[in-house]
Amino acid sequence: MTTRLLVVDDEPRTAEVTAELLRRAGYTVEIAVSGTEALQRVRMNPPDLMLLDYEMPDMEAPEVLDSLRSGADRIAFPVIILTGARHAPSDQVLGIERGATDYIAKGTDRQVLLARVRGALRERAGESSVIVNGRLRIDLARRQAWLGERPMKLERRPLLMLQLLAGRPGDVIDRAELLERVWGTSYSGFEHSIEQAVHEIRRALKEPGWIETVRGIGYRFVTQP
Amino acid sequence: MESATGSSPSPELAAALHRLRSTLARLKAELELAEADGRAAPAERLLGDLNEALVLLREVEQAAFGTVSILVVDDDARLAELTARGLRRLGYDAESMEALRDIRPREVVVFDLGLAPSLDDASRTALKVARPIVVTGATDPGSRALATDLDASDYLIKPVELEDLVAAIRRRAGGAD
Repeated sequence: MTTRLLVVDDEPRTAEVTAELLRRAGYTVEIAVSGTEALQRVRMNPPDLMLLDYEMPDMEAPEVLDSLRSGADRIAFPVIILTGARHAPSDQVLGIERGATDYIAKGTDRQVLLARVRGALRERAGESSVIVNGRLRIDLARRQAWLGERPMKLERRPLLMLQLLAGRPGDVIDRAELLERVWGTSYSGFEHSIEQAVHEIRRALKEPGWIETVRGIGYRFVTQP
Repeated sequence: MESATGSSPSPELAAALHRLRSTLARLKAELELAEADGRAAPAERLLGDLNEALVLLREVEQAAFGTVSILVVDDDARLAELTARGLRRLGYDAESMEALRDIRPREVVVFDLGLAPSLDDASRTALKVARPIVVTGATDPGSRALATDLDASDYLIKPVELEDLVAAIRRRAGGAD
């Protein structure tokens, strides 16, 4: 199965050269030369990832992102924005709110472009923003979890960990994966942090049974009636 | 650092623009010469010039828009890239490396202390000048001393929250000399 990318740039030559770089790396690449065309193509057949020029005559990137989301909580695939001059940090916060996965300055080395495409595809493969599992609901974007109607008070890391576990009910998730995905490190000096996080999750749930310890390996989420 | 407003550009902007123009002019002259002689232009050198022009353009953008460039150096490549991506989403111009490269002017360096022993004298000196934000997995007094040795502007213990790193970057980019 090949990965399909959509390159959006109002300059056809820029779009074609970018597409060719990506094709040589083994991707199937389509091109759109305006925001409107991009949205049409997405409606017909959503890509696995979109590379989006920031400034186009018909639409700027934030507008395209808003349309792609169209009321949903998140865009269904990663979007990397190709920028020229960057804006001051405070302006750019809009980017994350509107759902871009990453940013690349135009003219960046080919290897860097490819690495960021791979990174964005990988990140999206391992996350989901809202998870519902029985009476448990987790909204990562709002950093909040509920058990039934009751909101649970959880810090960021326990919440991420709960999201990871609840996203794969019945699976044992080992410590190494928890460290990597929740703490962003493979450094093993943080094992006690895992236990602390599990303790906080159990306390917030106030009901036994949801999180099972699998001795010597990791933890398993068990959906409770 | 405030970006320049009004009619007169900042000295940094003027200098970066001047160097950008020189590089482009050299590139053009070289191509014109090659065309006049009817020979192929030396692709490798021209690519080098173009790369230099893009680096200069980045300096122009920094001076014009007040963007902050950040280099995240960590031998854990995935962690470094995760951090850099998080910073890019917040509007920083962030890049990750597994080992220290040449530091660009006004670049803020986030440096994993575990790499300190691998530095040669020249890069150690360059790093000290950059007053890096040091990140470390260890909390022993030895690593704090190492950080002080590197003239660190901040010292953060892994795992580092993005918000804490951003606060350190703001302190470094805004306040320090």
